[in-house]
Amino acid sequence: MTSTLPDFAFEAAPELPGSERVSRYGFSAVRRIVHRLWDLSIEGIENIPDEGPAILCPNHLSFCDSVFVPVSLPRRVWAIGKGEYMDDWKTKHLFPAFGMIPVDRSGGEAAQAALDTAARVLDGGHLFMIYPEGTRSRSGNLHKARTGAARLSVRCSAPIIPVGHIGTLEVQPPDQFTMKPGLPVTVRFGEPMHIADFGDPGDPRTIRPFADAVMYEIAQLSGQKYVDTYAGSEDKDEEQPKIETPVIAVPPGRARAPKLIAAAG
Amino acid sequence: MNIASIVETHDAERIALIDGDDTLTYGELQAWAGSIRQLLTERGIGDDDRVAVPAGNEPAFVAATLGALGVGARVIPMKPANPLPELDRKLASIRPAIILVGEEASWMHDHAEGIDAPMIDLATVPRSVAASPEIVERENDDIAIMMLTSGVSGNAKVAMLSQGNLAWGQAAACENSVDGLASEDVALASLPFSHIFGLNVILLATLRMGGQVVLQRRFEVDESLALCTRHGITVLAGAPPMWRRWSMIDVGDAFACVRLAISGAAALPVEVFNDMQQRHGITIEEGYGLTETSPILTSSRGDAKGGSVGRPVDGVDLILVEEDGTIVDPGDAGEIVVRGPGIFQGYFDDPEATQEVLTEDGWFWTGDVGVLDDDGRVYIVDRIKDIIIVSGFNVYPAEVENVLLDHPDVRGAVVVGNPHLDTGETVIGYVSGDVDTAELDRHARANLSRYKCPTKYHLVDDLPVAPTGKKIRRELR
Repeated sequence: MTSTLPDFAFEAAPELPGSERVSRYGFSAVRRIVHRLWDLSIEGIENIPDEGPAILCPNHLSFCDSVFVPVSLPRRVWAIGKGEYMDDWKTKHLFPAFGMIPVDRSGGEAAQAALDTAARVLDGGHLFMIYPEGTRSRSGNLHKARTGAARLSVRCSAPIIPVGHIGTLEVQPPDQFTMKPGLPVTVRFGEPMHIADFGDPGDPRTIRPFADAVMYEIAQLSGQKYVDTYAGSEDKDEEQPKIETPVIAVPPGRARAPKLIAAAG
Repeated sequence: MNIASIVETHDAERIALIDGDDTLTYGELQAWAGSIRQLLTERGIGDDDRVAVPAGNEPAFVAATLGALGVGARVIPMKPANPLPELDRKLASIRPAIILVGEEASWMHDHAEGIDAPMIDLATVPRSVAASPEIVERENDDIAIMMLTSGVSGNAKVAMLSQGNLAWGQAAACENSVDGLASEDVALASLPFSHIFGLNVILLATLRMGGQVVLQRRFEVDESLALCTRHGITVLAGAPPMWRRWSMIDVGDAFACVRLAISGAAALPVEVFNDMQQRHGITIEEGYGLTETSPILTSSRGDAKGGSVGRPVDGVDLILVEEDGTIVDPGDAGEIVVRGPGIFQGYFDDPEATQEVLTEDGWFWTGDVGVLDDDGRVYIVDRIKDIIIVSGFNVYPAEVENVLLDHPDVRGAVVVGNPHLDTGETVIGYVSGDVDTAELDRHARANLSRYKCPTKYHLVDDLPVAPTGKKIRRELR
């Protein structure tokens, strides 16, 4: 049942949260426990650079994705989390150990603040994880990417590593607080993707094709069907900030034919 | 108001139009337009009657248009050469009360029996009359011009532009260029007046300012250079194929007086922009607009950046939206939706087509996909109807075509989507040139995500391209 624990280097990053001793030991203990309790297979670990920045972009199905991806890596990874976690004694030590950087996500500047924080991590030469779908997919499908990851890639000249995992939904279905032990989970890391291979990084028309190409690779890794709509449109998700976007009326006579959708891969 | 009055305030001695060796002053143009008003009034043509004007870029077209507008009629500019079935379809859809035929369209007189409306040969209309009716007052919302749209995406429609729409478009053309059009300007009119760019941005905007318009019946590169040299052209406007021709040749000092270079009608390739800058020292200002928007929506106004069509001009609200009307994420691609004083009044006799693109609160859905950069510049990606959906993923044909065109053996490339059992659609490439398709496939795979690579290539001699440079993909589907 236990899986092989990958070699791990605890990257020193005193400027970022989670560097204190309690986090160091806490994360180490959690890694061991996770690898003992679940049948975790890790593929493509050679795609994670030993050093330097990279943006990890996993599919997002379950709250526990934020556990399984970090413990599969040979290096530490940081991600944005809700500021409120720091007010709760249960999470205030554990979450920073997992690389969570609390950001106040209320208010209009929240998205910019999150991106600035992410840029700080990447500019420091570290790994940063962001769910490109922006929120958990309740449909099980892989949804259209938000542009944040691709824009970070341009801003910080960092490659994107597509990540596809399988099995986390069974470990912790929606609305379950506990994680069911003993189940198989697979985490697959794809090859690093560079935006310059998709066009001129200075041309904004390169962003969407790059973001789509990342989703295509994730779909190959996770085996999910891709749908060209944003996740969260079918359900609300408490974990992630609700993305409020203004909407205008569609012309009344416009044909609303559904787009052609077929299984990826 | 009436846009027919734009020529009335200028000094009668100033030159308005130059056509070969002939010149026409503002005074002569005013008189000729007055004569047309007299003729139309005698025939009972007035408010909202439809007057078709098939003609080339000739002085009679200008007089006929101003004259018909002056009696309150709606003008439908038509290109002079139309295959008969196409002409029949167009006339059936606009049902003109009268047709004023220019020299370039004189062949139509031989087919008079098949045409319902009375036709007047403009060559027979006197250039001045002793007394002519006054220009009638019109309201801002009254329809002034009905444009047959180029119809790259399907059947031609007739866009109704109001007095206010056109006046705003002319003002935008004057005010949103580097220094604005001025009375000292000499503009080369090679773009057809049956196209909104040639009509409102070049012809009418220049006349509004009291400048000179040098007429070129149809674009021919050597003649265009000779006209530039002879008349000291200061305003040079073209569609991308024209700019490509100019960029490739030695122009001597033909462009010595050019102070304003404008491209529109289709996306200008970045290499053409760069070539013009490096080779001829000309920075092309690019704009974006449609017939339905009179046409100016964006302009690069003095800070042109290759690949971008500039920022929205004052008065235009421009947003990018998803299919359901949700505004896209920053940096993301979406359909360009606009609001402003130039937005048309709907398609003539076609409320269904109007309802597909126009909302009650005045937003016009352009059908073009665009992106905004952090500085608010607009970049055009593709036509929304041309997007190919492979396994749920959007493939923009322009992106694939640009990769194919990068291959040294490819002369032209168009890609379209074909239905596919497993993936919904699949990408099919049509290429011209001396190309080895296996080699081209390797080139595509090295430069594109797998789902974007054409699964089949067809070698063709010629690809369907409209005169404006727009690719007509529907002909290959």
